[in-house]
Amino acid sequence: MKSNHPKILSGKPAASGIGIGLAVILETGSKSVMPEKVGEKEIGDQIIKFEAARENVLKDYERIKTLPDNSDASDIIETQIQTLQDPEVESLILKKIKEERYTAEYAIFSVFNDYIQIMEATKVNWVNERVVDIVSVRDELIEATRERRKKLSVEKGEVVFAKEISPAVMVTLSHIGIAGIVIERGGLTSHVVILSQSLGIPCVINVHWDRYKLQNGTPVIIDGTTGQVLINPTWKQSQEYKKRKNDEELRYQKARKWTAEKSETSCGHPFSLKANVEFSEELANLKPNGAKGIGLLRTETILFETEDFNVDDQVAFYQNMLESTEDESVTIRLFDAGGDKVVDQSEPESNPFLGWRGIRMLLDKKILLRNQLEAIYRVSGMFKDRVKILIPMVSRVEEVIELKDHCSYVENLLEKKGVAYDKNIQLGVMVEVPSVALTLDVFARHVDFFSIGTNDLTQYTLAVDRGNEKISALFDSFHPSVWKLIKMTYDSASSHQLPVAVCGEMASYPEAAACLLGIGIDDLSMNAGSIPMVKAVLCQNTLGDMKELAKNVLSTNSISEIHEHLNSWRTP
Amino acid sequence: MVSAKVKVLNESGLHARPSSELVKTASRFKSEFFIKMYGYKVNGKSILGVMTLAAECGAEMELILDGPDEDMALKTLTELFENKFNTDE
Repeated sequence: MKSNHPKILSGKPAASGIGIGLAVILETGSKSVMPEKVGEKEIGDQIIKFEAARENVLKDYERIKTLPDNSDASDIIETQIQTLQDPEVESLILKKIKEERYTAEYAIFSVFNDYIQIMEATKVNWVNERVVDIVSVRDELIEATRERRKKLSVEKGEVVFAKEISPAVMVTLSHIGIAGIVIERGGLTSHVVILSQSLGIPCVINVHWDRYKLQNGTPVIIDGTTGQVLINPTWKQSQEYKKRKNDEELRYQKARKWTAEKSETSCGHPFSLKANVEFSEELANLKPNGAKGIGLLRTETILFETEDFNVDDQVAFYQNMLESTEDESVTIRLFDAGGDKVVDQSEPESNPFLGWRGIRMLLDKKILLRNQLEAIYRVSGMFKDRVKILIPMVSRVEEVIELKDHCSYVENLLEKKGVAYDKNIQLGVMVEVPSVALTLDVFARHVDFFSIGTNDLTQYTLAVDRGNEKISALFDSFHPSVWKLIKMTYDSASSHQLPVAVCGEMASYPEAAACLLGIGIDDLSMNAGSIPMVKAVLCQNTLGDMKELAKNVLSTNSISEIHEHLNSWRTP
Repeated sequence: MVSAKVKVLNESGLHARPSSELVKTASRFKSEFFIKMYGYKVNGKSILGVMTLAAECGAEMELILDGPDEDMALKTLTELFENKFNTDE
């Protein structure tokens, strides 16, 4: 692409809004390391880069070391930590940078390779076996060196282009105040997308921007509502998008006015809109958007980003959430690791979404589970009647029964320690596997509430891997079968006087939220950024109209008709 | 500067765990620590250095210490070899 040639790429809209700014490309590491040298003045930078990378990787390993049930790996990790702290390795790398003026990347690469060669050449088995661990330390150090460069290069108001973005980098980016994100991969339910939605950063995914010679600093416009990405927009296009951006902001401001209003339909039927939260950074967005509590607190971040997950750290994390939500409730979902969020990459599964995740993993990792339960119970004692527990990936009732044994264990433990906890803490099951919706009666005897996770329910009902780009068009939460399962869940739970909530992204579409209200589900949780628009629509319509919509949606088996019903409902 | 000859008594040699134990223990002392084996000399506080020795059971090496706590360090490290690095085997 010539530098000034306008070009439109299209991808999948992931987080609404228009972003206008200059492109900045986040390089994700190619494995090749070139023997590049730097100028005299850059030597200091290279040293800082190396030391920072070493510090970061060290922190990661220290964290992994403290993972429970990990004693087999702890020897290897201990060796890797010692490798990072190896004084000889450090001084050789510094020498390569200082005396030979090599980049930090190459210095690391070449020093490690000398050792690796010697180790490979010995005829001693255990030495050969360790080579793989040393190679991984080398590569992680190099990767960390590059990541530092990435983070530093993004500035406020820029539009970030990347192949993919890790949750950790995403959190850093969100602090910078970027104008938008374009990624090549990713699904609608990836962390990048969820965080973009929550923080109001326009985002487009599945854009093959790398096929064009996009330069840093090229003017771009992204439309997170349609999925279009304009490179080098013409003057006319720029004017048009600036106007649309203004209009959108006005509309959002208008919707924002509803956030202070009572949560009820125009005919006076009350409803509750809560936020889905994963990061502490999101808490500041709750009140301005009118969120009443947290309907889904994702806790996997603690697993991936904190030093370890001891009880005290968790208590602090949950406490922060409860303190930031006034008197509202906070539903804490137990670690839902597995699936696309892998904890233990040493044993890759061929079908991770059908594999060892959620409650299945927790029941195998008892220390992890009991630590989390203990932390939640302790917080429940500090904030009476506000903490709820949600169990992810349940497919059979036995899992719930076994989990409750662990709850009793933790209750006894706290009794003995004399620590207060909420004796009526509410326990709920995620409805995301169809087997739960189909046999809800069996579960009803053991739990206090249900929460429907529409993303996974869609994935498991339609047998569509939500991360697979090739079939992403088949992933449609508005499929008639999904609506029927939602209706079944509501009817069955109601017959047992148990409440049902929806915490999937489906609730963030105003017309779908209206339809859910029409079915009878008036407890919805979504990314905070979507609440104003949803609330504006729900407040300005009657429950009668919403029931009519639900009736129409449930009475057809045609997915296109469902879309028509919902679209026609969309307020102009 | 003090030194002493030691022998690896662990059946599997100075493998990952003993190496790690050796480096960890040595790093607690201020003295410089070198290991000499077959005319090859490595920094004893460097895990990669120690591993590249690939010392097997029965291997003999010389521990050389130089610094303010050299006597204590030599005693502790020699004992570590004698106790098979506190491993079960």
